[in-house]
Amino acid sequence: MTKSIDYNHLIQADKVHGSVYTEDAIFEEEMEKIFQNSWFYVGHESEVKEAGDFVARDVGRSALIMVRDKDATVNVMVNRCSHRGNNLCNEMSGNKRNFSCLYHGWVFGLNGELLDVPYPDGFTKDKKDHGLQKLVTDSYRGFVFAHFDEPKVSFDDYLGNAKKLIDRACNLSPEGEIDLTGGWVRQKFDANWKMLPENDTDGYHVNYVHQSFVQVIPSQYNEFVGGEDTNKGVIRDWGNGHTEIDFAAGYVSTLDWLGSTVEKSKSYVEKMHAAYGEEEGDKRLFDGPPHSCIFPNLFLAEMNIVIFQPISTNTCVQWSTPMFLKGVPELNFKLLRQSEGALGPAAFLLADDATIAERAQKALKAGTPWCDLSRGVDREIVREDGVRESRMSDETSNRGFWHHYRSVMLGEN
Amino acid sequence: MSNQVAFEVTRELEAFIIQEAKYADEGEYQKWYELWAQDAVYWVPLKEGDDPAQKASHLYDNYSRLTTRVKQLNTGNRFSQVPISGMRRVISNYEFFNDSDGKFRVEANFYLPEYSIQSTHNFRIWSGRYTYIVSRKEDSFQIHTKKIVLVNGLEPISTLSFLI
Repeated sequence: MTKSIDYNHLIQADKVHGSVYTEDAIFEEEMEKIFQNSWFYVGHESEVKEAGDFVARDVGRSALIMVRDKDATVNVMVNRCSHRGNNLCNEMSGNKRNFSCLYHGWVFGLNGELLDVPYPDGFTKDKKDHGLQKLVTDSYRGFVFAHFDEPKVSFDDYLGNAKKLIDRACNLSPEGEIDLTGGWVRQKFDANWKMLPENDTDGYHVNYVHQSFVQVIPSQYNEFVGGEDTNKGVIRDWGNGHTEIDFAAGYVSTLDWLGSTVEKSKSYVEKMHAAYGEEEGDKRLFDGPPHSCIFPNLFLAEMNIVIFQPISTNTCVQWSTPMFLKGVPELNFKLLRQSEGALGPAAFLLADDATIAERAQKALKAGTPWCDLSRGVDREIVREDGVRESRMSDETSNRGFWHHYRSVMLGEN
Repeated sequence: MSNQVAFEVTRELEAFIIQEAKYADEGEYQKWYELWAQDAVYWVPLKEGDDPAQKASHLYDNYSRLTTRVKQLNTGNRFSQVPISGMRRVISNYEFFNDSDGKFRVEANFYLPEYSIQSTHNFRIWSGRYTYIVSRKEDSFQIHTKKIVLVNGLEPISTLSFLI
C-alpha cells in the first residue's frame, strides 16, 4: 500500500518537516519528478570540445553520457546498451568514434543510433528502433540541461532569472565564455542532497561552521562576517528555486572576489577593458561572479562550477571544478588553488560543511520534526519583478528553494 | 650518482617517516608542521600523472597554505577534525632512491584506517602510495614534498581534513 505524501503539509511558508531529508519514499519521488520529469543540469559544452569527446555523468538514478556529435551538436544519452542494459561507457571522459558494448558488441553512433549488431541474421528487428535513449536537451551559454521527456515547462521558462546569473559568470571572460577543463573533484557527503543547495546559499552559517576559517584566513569573505548591520551581502530568491548570496555590495575594491587587485592582475584588466570598454569592464571586475544555485543541481560557486548528485536518501556527492575564463589562461593556476582551498574534501570550507550536514542527517531522524526557516520573513522585500531580497543572514534563499521544490513535487512545474 | 641508498640511511629515513606518520595520526599538528621545508609541496592529486598547473587536486599546499592548514587545525574549531579522527596508519613496501641535490626520495604504500568520530562514526579505509622528497637537516631530515596518490582518488571521497 502506498501512502501519498502531503507536500503542502511537509513544506510550509516558514518551516519544513525533517522527513523531507530522511524519508526514502520522498527520495524515490524526487528521482522521478526532479531528475527525470524536470529540467536538470548535465554539463558544459567546453567539456566536450571535439567531435567524439564525451563525459559520463550520473544524474539522479541515471547514468548519462554527454557527447559532441560529428555535426557539433551536443547529445545527452543514457549510458546503457539498448540490448541487455550493460553500461556502455565505463570511463569518466575521453574521445570515441562510436560507443560499443562489451557484452555482445552492439555499436552505437555519437547520436545514439544503433549502427551494428554482430551476426545480424538472428536479429530481425529494425535497428532504428533500438538506438540509445536520448534526452531532450537545451543549452544556454554552453551550460547543457536535459529532460527525459517532452518538457511541460519550456527551457526559457525553467531558467527564468538564472540566465542573468549565468551571464554574470560568463561575462567575466573577455571572450564571454567559460572553460571547464580543470577536472572534477568529487566529495562524498553522508547527508541528503538537498542540504547542499540549501547550505550553499545560506549566509547565516558562515560565522559558526567556518569560524576556524575566518580566524586564520584573510579572504574576500572577511567583509561579510561580524555584525548583521555591517554586513552588506544580499540574499536573493530569483524564483524557480534559483537562489543567491550576492557579495557585490560588500566588496571594497575591484577584484576583491579574486583575492587580487588591478595592479596584480594587469593583463586580465586590460583584456576586459579591450573587450567591453573601461566602464563596463570595470563594473564586471568589481561585481565579480555569482554565488547562486540553479535548481535543482547546479551551483555557480563564484569561480567554480559545482554539481549536486543525489545517491540515496542519506548520501550525495558534490562535484566541483574551477571556472576557467576563456582568454585569460594566466589566471588558471590561481583559480585551481582557490578551488581546492574552498571546495572539495580537504578544503578549508567544505570539509566542515560536510561534517555539519552529516550531523544534521543523523539528528533529523529524531525529536521535533520541524526545521524553522522563518528568519527574515518579515523584513524581506519583494521587488517589482517578483524577486525577493533580504539581508545576507536571512533564510529568503532557503524558502525560495523549498517553495519551488514543493511545486515540482506537487507536479505544478 | 648511485641510486642505491646506504642501508643505515634507509633505516634513518624509515624512522623519520614513521615519526611523521605518528604526528599525523595523533594530531600533533605543530610537531608535524616543523618537519617541513620552506619549499613544501603537500599534494593529493586526483590521479598519478596529473599536472597541478592544469588539473585540480584534492589538495595542493605550498608552505604558506600548509601553514594555514595547520593554523586552522590548531584553532580547535576545525569541526571536521573535532575531535580528531581515530587513525593508525601502516606504511610498508618502502623503496629508497637518491634524488637530485643530495635529497632522498622515498616511496611506500600506506593503509590508513580512520574512525570518523565527528559525524558519521563510520570506519573508513584510505590507501595509496606516498612519495616523499626529503633532505638532511641537522641530525634528522626535512620534507620538501609529500605526494599522496589514493587508490580511489578519482572516486567521490569523504572529508579529508585530517593529515594524510
